[in-house]
Amino acid sequence: MTTGATQATTQATPHGEDDRAILLVHAYVDGELDPANAIAVEQRMAAEPKLAAERARVEALRHALRERLPQEVPPSGLELRVRRAIGPAMELSVARAQPPRPTWLALAAAVMIAIFASSGGTWYALQSSANDGTAAAVIDGHLRALMAPQPIDVKSSDRHTVKPWFNGRIPQAPRVVDLAQDGFPLIGGRVDVVGRTPVPALVYGRHQHLISLTAIPDAPAALAKSRSVRGYNLIAWTADGVTYWAVSDLNTSELETFARLFRDAPL
Amino acid sequence: MSGEATRARFERIVQPYLGDAYALARWITGDRADSEDVVQEACLRAFRAIDGYAGGNARAWVLTIVRNTAYSWLARNRTAVVTAVDDLAAAEHANANLAEASAGGAYGANPESELIAMADAARLEAAIAALPPQFRDTLVLRDFQGLDYREIAAVTEVPVGTVMSRLARARQRLIRAIEAGE
Repeated sequence: MTTGATQATTQATPHGEDDRAILLVHAYVDGELDPANAIAVEQRMAAEPKLAAERARVEALRHALRERLPQEVPPSGLELRVRRAIGPAMELSVARAQPPRPTWLALAAAVMIAIFASSGGTWYALQSSANDGTAAAVIDGHLRALMAPQPIDVKSSDRHTVKPWFNGRIPQAPRVVDLAQDGFPLIGGRVDVVGRTPVPALVYGRHQHLISLTAIPDAPAALAKSRSVRGYNLIAWTADGVTYWAVSDLNTSELETFARLFRDAPL
Repeated sequence: MSGEATRARFERIVQPYLGDAYALARWITGDRADSEDVVQEACLRAFRAIDGYAGGNARAWVLTIVRNTAYSWLARNRTAVVTAVDDLAAAEHANANLAEASAGGAYGANPESELIAMADAARLEAAIAALPPQFRDTLVLRDFQGLDYREIAAVTEVPVGTVMSRLARARQRLIRAIEAGE
């Protein structure tokens, strides 16, 4: 039963409160409501028979659609037909030599497989020293970022946007340099956790590759030497009391170029 | 990206949803042979656009392309069928509001909902086909394809509130059609 107040509203606006209640019942049946709203709708349905009736009808209809009209299976030739149609298009796309784009999904899939394959233990076999522990955490952060829908928390190619973003999130905003002229555009930044410390990570791009640059203050000095861990190249160096770790699937020489440019860039 | 990589990407992102693509095209065109044409064309479009696919829900991405392809296909081949936007606007704000439409039925768990649940397949299919296209797409994406409201909003390029209202209206029309037929 509606109250006098809602009836008045309904008269004033034809698509008013009663309509909203109906929409909420549908959203409830569809599982679209958060717990608080779901409880509110349940209470209204318990109190108002016409809303309960609407729920019964919608559920009955959904049942009928599911049971009576199962999804039609496509004809068996369709897949073949699509493959044939794609064939010439593929040759065309090779001829056009499309510019490379980031393939997050491909990377993420590879990473998932790597993680499942390594099943925890072996991955951390490299924790033989403090630096190796840091290396594992840095790679971890890079992989997690590749798996996420967005590899970054703040997306900007402007260092004057990225640097302030870190203020308030971590004790010390990192040094951010603009290397776009050198072919390493800034893409954004995120916060990683190394040990128990949140640390800033900058994300740079190089063609279709991503470089995570994690800056760890007050860490033991690292050798400026690159190495490869599970197909990812790592290079670490220390400057002004901050240890920087760059990790990427980029080849070693390009990653070293990146490290040198970052290190030598004027502030 | 190499042609091989593009193709692998296509097979991973688009191929799994050929069945869904066909089902959606079938509801929009109402014809099996036409649906195959639409799916083929949509796959070509998806293939060409696949480098621009930035992640997210692959099925919703594929269905968006299928839906757009189906409508441009209809516009080319069957101009008369496509409902004008004005007609849609009229349907969206149709005389009967939702609350009125839901009133009048018997209340509670009752023969009414049993009757709806037992609806005849042919009658249901005809009632769905008779829905205004945008109502029908919303219903199909939700009740057959299982997309959530936000995904439907993305595929049909309208706000979530419009999705909710179209879905409720589509369902009420079906319920009325079933009840009128018995």
